[in-house]
Amino acid sequence: FRLNIEGLLVYFPYDYIYPEQYSYMLELKRTLDAKGHGVLEMPSGTGKTISLLSLIVAYQKAYPLEVTKLVYCSRTVPEIEKVVEELRKLMDYYAKQTGVKNDFLALALSSRKNLCIHPEILHANIVVYSYHYLLDPKIADLVSKELAKKSVVVFDEAHNIDNVCIDSMSVNITRRTLDRCQTNVETLQNTISRIKETDAAKLREEYRRLVEGLKEANVARETDIYLSNPVLPDEILQEAVPGSIRTAEHFVGFIKRFLEYLKARLRIHHVVQESAPQFLKDIYEKVCIDRKPLRFCAERLRSLLRTLEIADIADFSAITLISHFATLVSTYSKGFTIIIEPFEDRTPTIANPVLHFSCMDPSIAIKPVFGRFQSVIITSGTLSPLDIYPRILDFRPVTMASFTMTLARTCLCPLIVGRGNDQVAMTSKFETREDFAVIRNYGNLLLEMSAIVPDGIVAFFTSYIYMENIVASWYEQGILENIQRNKLIFIETQDAAETSMALEKYQEACENGRGAILLSVARGKVSEGIDFVHHFGRAVIMFGVPYVYTQSRILKARLEYLRDQFQIRENDFLTFDAMRHAAQCVGRAIRGKTDYGLMIFADKRYARADKRGKLPRWIQEHLTDGSLNLTIDETVQLSKHFLRQMAQPFRREDQLGLSLLTLEQLQSEDMLQKIAQIAQQA
Amino acid sequence: MDEEPERAKRWEGGYERTWEVLKEDESGSLKATVDDILFQAKRKRVFEGHGQVRLGMMRHLFVIIDSSRSMEDQDLKPNRLTSTLKLMEFFVEEYFDQNPISQIGIITTKNKRAEKLTDLAGNPKKHIAALKKAVDGTCVGEPSLYNSLNVAMQTLKHMPAHTSKEILVIFSSLTTCDPANIYELIKTLNALKIRVSVIGLSAEVRVCTILTRETGGSYNVILDESHFKELLMLHVKPPPASSSSECSLIRMGFPQHVIASISDQDAKPSFSMSHLDSTSEPGLTLGGYFCPQCRAKYTELPVECKVCGLTLVSAPHLARSFHHLFPLEAFQETPLEEYEGERFCEACQGELKDKSIFTCQACKKVFCVECDLFIHDTLHCCPGCPQPPI
Repeated sequence: FRLNIEGLLVYFPYDYIYPEQYSYMLELKRTLDAKGHGVLEMPSGTGKTISLLSLIVAYQKAYPLEVTKLVYCSRTVPEIEKVVEELRKLMDYYAKQTGVKNDFLALALSSRKNLCIHPEILHANIVVYSYHYLLDPKIADLVSKELAKKSVVVFDEAHNIDNVCIDSMSVNITRRTLDRCQTNVETLQNTISRIKETDAAKLREEYRRLVEGLKEANVARETDIYLSNPVLPDEILQEAVPGSIRTAEHFVGFIKRFLEYLKARLRIHHVVQESAPQFLKDIYEKVCIDRKPLRFCAERLRSLLRTLEIADIADFSAITLISHFATLVSTYSKGFTIIIEPFEDRTPTIANPVLHFSCMDPSIAIKPVFGRFQSVIITSGTLSPLDIYPRILDFRPVTMASFTMTLARTCLCPLIVGRGNDQVAMTSKFETREDFAVIRNYGNLLLEMSAIVPDGIVAFFTSYIYMENIVASWYEQGILENIQRNKLIFIETQDAAETSMALEKYQEACENGRGAILLSVARGKVSEGIDFVHHFGRAVIMFGVPYVYTQSRILKARLEYLRDQFQIRENDFLTFDAMRHAAQCVGRAIRGKTDYGLMIFADKRYARADKRGKLPRWIQEHLTDGSLNLTIDETVQLSKHFLRQMAQPFRREDQLGLSLLTLEQLQSEDMLQKIAQIAQQA
Repeated sequence: MDEEPERAKRWEGGYERTWEVLKEDESGSLKATVDDILFQAKRKRVFEGHGQVRLGMMRHLFVIIDSSRSMEDQDLKPNRLTSTLKLMEFFVEEYFDQNPISQIGIITTKNKRAEKLTDLAGNPKKHIAALKKAVDGTCVGEPSLYNSLNVAMQTLKHMPAHTSKEILVIFSSLTTCDPANIYELIKTLNALKIRVSVIGLSAEVRVCTILTRETGGSYNVILDESHFKELLMLHVKPPPASSSSECSLIRMGFPQHVIASISDQDAKPSFSMSHLDSTSEPGLTLGGYFCPQCRAKYTELPVECKVCGLTLVSAPHLARSFHHLFPLEAFQETPLEEYEGERFCEACQGELKDKSIFTCQACKKVFCVECDLFIHDTLHCCPGCPQPPI
C-alpha cells in the first residue's frame, strides 16, 4: 500500500506493515533529509531490507536531483540474492500501481563469475553488491570509483564492518607469497623482453605517459568523478612516477630487490614488531630503496600489466599484493603495524614465517566512503552499543537509533545461567575454565536442555580449543552418552566441507523428529552466516563470553592503538567485541515474528551490567531481573514453561493490530504514538 | 454454581507453579495475551461446529500413548504416565458416551518399539481395565513414532471407507527413534485418509506439526493438567468427514432387551457371546439382547455381532450420536457495554461481568461466557428457547 512518511509518498509492496518498519523508515528519511550518515539497529526478521529499499527508492523518485543512486552493500551472496528478490517485488509493485513501465535500472554484482565492470554501473539507479567492492581498495578501484557523489550507501549486516575494513587494508605475506611473486617477476621479465623485440613502441608510449604523470587521474578526482582510493593518496597524483622505476626493466629490477629484502626479513627466529617508518628506514639502509618509488609501486604495476596486455590478472595476485604492501607501507606512517612472526603460536616447532602488515584503524579504509557520499547508512540486527561505531570508524552520524521488535507474544526468552545446581559459578573465565565442576555444570546444562527443548539446539563455545577440551571431558564423564539419548550431536570443525556436511545432517535430524545439537564456535562460520529458523534452532546456548584471543600480537597492537587514538579502553573494546558476537550467536535463532527460541547465556558474567548493557535493546528488553543468575533447575523450569506457551496456536489474526498493521491501523493516533516509542535515539 | 469456574480452574492449573503465574502477570502481557488467544480459540471451536457439516460418525480411533522414559517426568502429578492414563480412562468413557457406534484401540510405545495394549473394540470396560493395568508398567527408552503409526495403520487400512479413521498420539518425548523415513509413512497415511492428531506433553516438535498438517489432524501442546483434559475432550466430538469419503448405508440391528425373572418358568439361562473372550463375568444369565438376525445373545450394547457381523445398537445410542449433526447455533457475541437489558445470565442467574455477553439468536436470551460454553459443549440445546411440543 501507499504510505505517507512526513510528506513522502512511499510504495510498500505488502498488505501489512510492522510498526517498527514504519519507525525505521521515518528515521531513514530524516537521515536522507539531513544529507548525513546514520546508524540504525533493528532486529533481523522485521523486514529491514524492504523498508530500506522502499523508502530510498521513493526518495529517489521524489527528489531525483538530491539522490541519484542507491548503493546497497551486503556481505554474502545469499544475502545479496535476498535483496534482489525484495527489490524485484518492489519494482513489480511500482509497475502495477503506477502503470508506468519501470525506468529504474538495478544492478547486482554477486560472485566473481558475475562480475561486471561495464560502465553501465554509472547509469544504474540501484547497485547491490558486496562490501568488498566498496571497501577493498583492490576491487573498489575497478568497480566503484565512478559512483556519483549523490549516492546513498547502505551497509547491511554491518556489525563487523570495522573488521572488514581492517582486513581489506591488511596484508599477510608468507614464504609462499614470495615464491609465487618470484615466478610472477620472471614471467614479467620474459614478457617485457619479448615485447621489446616485437613492439618496442608500446613500452615507449607507456614511458611517455608516466612522464606526463597521473595528471588525468588527478583531474578526474577533482571533478568529482572518482571515489578516492585509499591506496592511492592524493599527493601521489600531483607527481609523476619517479625516474628510477619508470622504465619497465628498471621497475622489475626494483621489485626484485624489494622481494629479496622481504625474503631476508622473513628469515628470523624471533618475533619482530615495528612501525612503518622503522621499516622504511631499515629498507633504505639495507637495500637503498627510497620511500618515494615504493609509494608508486601499485600504480606502476597496474600500468605495466595494462601495457603488457596481460589478460589473466588473477595469476599475478602475488605480485599485486606485494605492490600494494609497498604502497601502503610507504604511504601511511600511522595506523599500521608490521609484525613478523617466525612460527604460529600453536605450532612453535614448525617454521612458518609470516609478515603481518596489519591495519589498526578501520577508519582509513572507510574514510573515502564517508567523505564522498552524502549519506551512508550502517545497519544491522546487532549494533549495540550504537555509539562505539562512529568512534571507531571516525565519522559523525546525524541519526543513531535502535528499534525494538513489537510482539504479540514474547517469542524470545533470554536467560542468564550463572550457577549449577551445586551453586558452583559457571563461567568460561580463564582461571576457572579448566575447573572440573564448571565443565560438569556446562555438561549438565546441555543435558537438561536436550531433554526439554524440541528439535534443534545450537550451542556456541568461545573457541575451537575450548570446545575440544570440554567435549573430551564430557566424553570421559559419560555426559555425551546421556545427551545422545535425547539428541544427536554434531560438531563444527575448521574444515568447511566437514562443517557443511554436519550442518546438513543436523537439519535432517531436526526435520524428522530425532532432534539434534550443533556444537559450534562463536566467530565461526555457523555463528555468522547461517540462520536457524523455527525448529532448526529452538534454543541457543552460549557457553562463556566469546572474548577474542587476547594473546595475539595483532590484537594487542590494535588495542593499544585504540586506546591512544580514540580513547577507547582495552576492556571496553574487548567487551563490546565479545558481546556483539554473543548477540550474533543468540540472534541466529530468532529470524522473524512467528519464530520463537530460547537464548541461554551460560556465564555468570553476563549478569553484570557492563555486559548486559551491551546487548541489543530488543534482547535486553526481555531480560528481566527474574532471569539473571539462574541455576540450571530454574532455567529448565522457565524454559519448559516458555516452550509450552509458545506451542499454543498462534495465527496471523493474533498479531494484527499489535505487531502487524494494516494501513488504517497505522494511521490511527495512538498507534502513531506507540510507534514513536519504538525508536530509541542513542 | 457456588464458585466461579474461572477461579477454580486457575487454582487447579497453577497449584504447582503459582509463582510463575504471578511472575508473568507482573512482568508484562505474556500470560494475558496467551490466555486471550486460548479463549479466542475456545470460542472458535464453538463457531466451527455450526453449519451443515458431514461428520464421521462411525469412528475407528487408535490412541497411541507414549510410554518412554520422558513419561516419568513429574510435571504432571504424580507423573506424566499416571496422569495420562487416568485422563484416558475418562476419555474412553466419554468417547463411548458420545460416539456409541464407534471403536477405539490403544497402542503404547517404548524402547523404540510399539505394541497394542488393546485391539480396536467397542467395549469401554475392556479398555479401561487395560489402562488400569498399564499404570504399573515401566517407562523406558525412546518412543518410536514410526513404529506405532505403522501398527495403527496396519489395522486401520482394512476398515471400510465410510468410517472415520483416526489416530490420536499422546506424545511426551521430544525425540523419536524411527527405522525408516517417517515422511514416506505420512504420505501413506494421507493416501489412506487416516487423520492423525497429536497432543504434545512438553513442546512443539516439528515432525508432529508436519504429520498433523499433512493428514488433516490437529496438534496441541498442553499447558497444565486441566488444559490437557480440555484438549483430550476435543477429540470426543466426531470430526467432519472429508468430502471424498464414501457414503453407504449400514445395516444395523436394534435388539430388544428381554428381561426375564427367575420365577418365570419359560426363562432359560444362557451364555452371552461376549463371555467367549472374558472369564471374569458371571457365566449364565437370564435376560439380555438378542441379535434380530441370528438370535445370538449379548449383555451389553453397542456391539458388533460375533456371529453374523451385524452392528447392534439401541435407539438412544443412535439418538445421542445425532446431536453432533444438528449442533446448536452459535450465540451472538456482543460487548457488555452495548447491552442494555438486565445484567443477569439466563442460565446461571449470575451477574454478567465479563467483557462480552452471548445472545441466543432464536430466543434472544443472554448468557455469560461459561454458560455459553456449557450449553454448546454439553447441553446441546438452549435452555431459554421454548421446548417444542412433544
